[in-house]
Amino acid sequence: MQVTVECCGSTARVAGSLSLRVSLAEGASVRDLFVQLSAQSTEFAEVLAGCACARGDAIVPRGTVLTDGDELALLPPVAGG
Amino acid sequence: MSTQDFPRIQSAPLSLDALLTGSERDDCGALAIFAGTVRDHHEGRAVRALTYSSYARVAEKLIREIETEIAARFNVPLCLAVHRVGALAIGETAILAIARGHHRAETFAAMQALVEAVKHRVPIWKEEFYTDGSSAFVNGCTLVAAEDLPPAESRLHCTPTQSIEA
Repeated sequence: MQVTVECCGSTARVAGSLSLRVSLAEGASVRDLFVQLSAQSTEFAEVLAGCACARGDAIVPRGTVLTDGDELALLPPVAGG
Repeated sequence: MSTQDFPRIQSAPLSLDALLTGSERDDCGALAIFAGTVRDHHEGRAVRALTYSSYARVAEKLIREIETEIAARFNVPLCLAVHRVGALAIGETAILAIARGHHRAETFAAMQALVEAVKHRVPIWKEEFYTDGSSAFVNGCTLVAAEDLPPAESRLHCTPTQSIEA
């Protein structure tokens, strides 16, 4: 299956892109996605350790099972105001 | 436009008049207003500009939830907050919030809680651009679900990360 991942804030810099298209095995979870992305670079892995994941308009835990076509976002630590 | 309809994340300059319009309540004797503006320094570094970005799909929903939560917790009839995104110059307004309450004590308290919650719980990011040509994202509070955090970890903030040297 394939999912789309929007890279927010500092994650775009380490991912090298604002958006990623990622292929995952059927039944993969957010945790599996993070493991796969972490393999891209040490820097990406370090940033991902502090990231939450959103699916649609909700933040989801890492055990969440993904489905084909999911639109996800990587949310690094926030600092509004 | 009702107070629930307007976007909480806005790319245009924020308007206090727009926020106040339609918010009047005869049962409230207190109105608290907060504006957060772009400062020209951060942790000893001279800042020339900021860029705010957001994941609006979650941010819009969370700000509305925070407004409702804070209004209930402090027993104030109205809490509203809007946050700017995009490139901001020194002195521009990044966040505007209002609270209307029956009395000043709970209204002040609600305002402080509202602003803190928006700063710490909403997916908004701040990249600072320094006068020496470098930039950095301000590292704030993690949104990682509690069940996914190591036991000793808490919602820490704020140190700059992801620096780009000039």
